[in-house]
Amino acid sequence: MKRDVDGILYEALVVALVGFCAALTANHFSPKGIKLTRDYFPSRPSTDEAGAFDAAGVQRSLVEQIEARLRLNNLGMVGLTEVEELFRDPRHEAEQVIFVDARSRRLYEEGHVPGAYHLDHFYPEETLAEVLPAAMAAESVVFYCNGGDCEDSEFSAIFLREAGVPGDRMRVYVGGMSEWREHGLPVEVGLRRSGMLE
Amino acid sequence: MTMNRAMQMRWRPHRRSWVLFWVRLLVGGFFIYSGAMKAIEPGEFLKMVRAYELTEQSLVLNMVAATLPWFEIFCGALLVFGLGVRGTALVLLLLMTPLTALVLHRALELQEAGGLAFCAVRFDCGCGMGEVGICRKLAENGLLIVLGLWLAMGPRSQLTLWHRLA
Repeated sequence: MKRDVDGILYEALVVALVGFCAALTANHFSPKGIKLTRDYFPSRPSTDEAGAFDAAGVQRSLVEQIEARLRLNNLGMVGLTEVEELFRDPRHEAEQVIFVDARSRRLYEEGHVPGAYHLDHFYPEETLAEVLPAAMAAESVVFYCNGGDCEDSEFSAIFLREAGVPGDRMRVYVGGMSEWREHGLPVEVGLRRSGMLE
Repeated sequence: MTMNRAMQMRWRPHRRSWVLFWVRLLVGGFFIYSGAMKAIEPGEFLKMVRAYELTEQSLVLNMVAATLPWFEIFCGALLVFGLGVRGTALVLLLLMTPLTALVLHRALELQEAGGLAFCAVRFDCGCGMGEVGICRKLAENGLLIVLGLWLAMGPRSQLTLWHRLA
């Protein structure tokens, strides 16, 4: 009996060690593998400044928390009315105002703001060569993700700021794609400038 | 009569090994599927790992998100092929039990925040199945733990790719 238990424990140890090494190897060779040393979440808001409660102990709403977090990360915020104006602004057609979708490739292709660039901060190398020159040349860059408590837009904005895009041009549309859709605004499917609207 | 009994005695372990085989396929298949769903979008999985707020250390978060999906696939494949079944089942039990406790803890937090009935709590626990109801998730994990326990404590598997490594 003891021999049997020892055997199972030994087997478990071997499985755990070999499995761990195999998993690291698979991640290394996977095209979507995680880079172990990279910080994918560069903003580190302190709970006091951007948490659920303010200094006086009063509970903050989700929007207030997001606003505080963006302020902490030196990023501006933009609401639906203004984002709609920016979308209809002739400067948008001239690429002086650009939109950057910070969600995954799959969600982007399922539907994005027409003409929006794609920058997934987990895999920036996929589209950075296209997005960075456009963001450098634009007067205003609006980032968005799903909306609500999604933080991808902030991380993509921070990534581009670190790549050299001036921070004062960048703003985050907090309502995101869910609010955009809710208001019946145009949605482009597939690739950028595919011309296919939902 | 004697002959019948002798046949039954020969048949019994055979039937049990078929049951063991199907349980292995079920548990192994589950882990392969859930691991593959995470490995397809490891960035999304990383976000979910972070949402548990266990640590802010990027190396630890990255390590979990990088290895857990492939580790599940590896263990699932071992079960399906019947290699190191008892040891693999023990490893999965050691993995599943704390993960289930974490999911439960998060569900309780969400229940408190939303003032919901416990079974009305739905969220994506990062388990590879998308958004699910907590009661269904706990039942699923409970079943997997029981089956894993049976595989770990049960007899050596017979229907395997390589019997010496079963």
